[in-house]
Amino acid sequence: MSISTPSEPKNPSVVKVSGKPAAKPGAKPGTKSGTKAPVSAKGKGGGRKPVTPVKVGGGRNWGPIALFTAVGVIAVGIIGFAAWPSFGPGGTAYSWQTRAGQISGIVNFRDNGTQLIQEHDWAPQKYDQNPPVGGKHNPVWQRCMGDIYDAPIPNEHAVHSLEHGAVWLTYRSDLNPDEVNTLKGKIKGKQFTLMSPVEGLDHKVSLQAWGYQLKLDDVNDSRIDDFISVLAKNATLEPEASCSGGNTATGTTPLTEQQAQQRLGGNQ
Amino acid sequence: MSDNRRFTLFSTAGLGIMLGLGLVLGLVLGLVVAPAFRGSTPADDSPEAGFARDMSAHHAQAVAMGMIAQQRGTNIAVRVIGGDIALTQQGQIGMMSQWLRGWGLNVNGTGQAMAWMPGGENALEDGLMPGMATQEEMTKLDQARGPEVDRLFIQMMIKHHLGGIHMVDGILKQSRNEDVVWLANSMKAGQQKEIRDLQSAQKSLPSQ
Repeated sequence: MSISTPSEPKNPSVVKVSGKPAAKPGAKPGTKSGTKAPVSAKGKGGGRKPVTPVKVGGGRNWGPIALFTAVGVIAVGIIGFAAWPSFGPGGTAYSWQTRAGQISGIVNFRDNGTQLIQEHDWAPQKYDQNPPVGGKHNPVWQRCMGDIYDAPIPNEHAVHSLEHGAVWLTYRSDLNPDEVNTLKGKIKGKQFTLMSPVEGLDHKVSLQAWGYQLKLDDVNDSRIDDFISVLAKNATLEPEASCSGGNTATGTTPLTEQQAQQRLGGNQ
Repeated sequence: MSDNRRFTLFSTAGLGIMLGLGLVLGLVLGLVVAPAFRGSTPADDSPEAGFARDMSAHHAQAVAMGMIAQQRGTNIAVRVIGGDIALTQQGQIGMMSQWLRGWGLNVNGTGQAMAWMPGGENALEDGLMPGMATQEEMTKLDQARGPEVDRLFIQMMIKHHLGGIHMVDGILKQSRNEDVVWLANSMKAGQQKEIRDLQSAQKSLPSQ
């Protein structure tokens, strides 16, 4: 393929748009070299390759255009493929808050004006949400190292776990054993999670992080895993706070100061 | 005139081809060179990311055990080792979390534990990583009192450390990341030493 396509240097007024007829006159410059070049293929090119007149002012050079386009498409493909895990929906390039907002049905209490007090209080608390998503809580947190509690746990301890970054998976206490086992599989041994039944819950499952809640009715809903993956540890109010230790007892009333002293106190 | 002719070399077609070739060359170079940079920022499914996540979870349980030993152990060696392990490993959890954030990755993985280690799935015991105590065992330690705390803690922590060292070996075989290799080596040396300390403390406990 010839790289040099003749131009029309002598006649600037002739614009080589793509019109074939217009190109013809322009192809005959009256210079000495002009006599050889356009006519062509047979003439000696004076060391240079002769130029084929057919090319002159002809249609677009589809070859290079196609090549260029193909390379461009491949490049975009490669870049896109590499970037997708980060920049695709739910990708890690987004902050956890952004990814949380992408989980359909999630309620963000941090942004809707709800006041969630971080104070400690030994007294039992009343919460505006059920299950609670934040607020005053017991000084002792509920252990949240992928712990599975088979009976209800005191809200006051669970809320403290949320403050430490835990995702608290609650389920309606009348779910069948298969459903409960499915949920257990998502929690067991997983850091910054805990799970417990709640009597009379308005949905089969409700997930809580501090200031976030997602309620759903299918234990196989993939949003359960999304919620855990995006919010566990990330939603903490105290970065690097621990889920180790804390209360492990079930029940509906929080530990009193005396009980905590007995349960968690030093050796004596 | 010859200038005009030369100029034609840079016409649309010429430029197109040169740009095209340049782009292809750049892409090939990029693909060849990219893996060299991957070592410094591990990907989401890299052994380094898997190790950082799993070892954080593994460490968290050691912190829980260490805190119980520190607070409720009766043997002074047990209490000191417990506190030492809890503080050290909690600090290391912070380091590993920050690696992940620095690499632009979520601190939580989405796959199964130990998937980053060849044959890792076989190392799981009932879904738990090597050396991990079950929830029931942790609760038993938590509720123990007196010398029972010392005895249980030593047993559980030796097993826990052995599992941890197994995981450390797994990452040392795979990673060339300086930070990861440095911390992993220190974990291995530190935990091996602590196993010896725990074994000698074990011998000093009153037999029951």
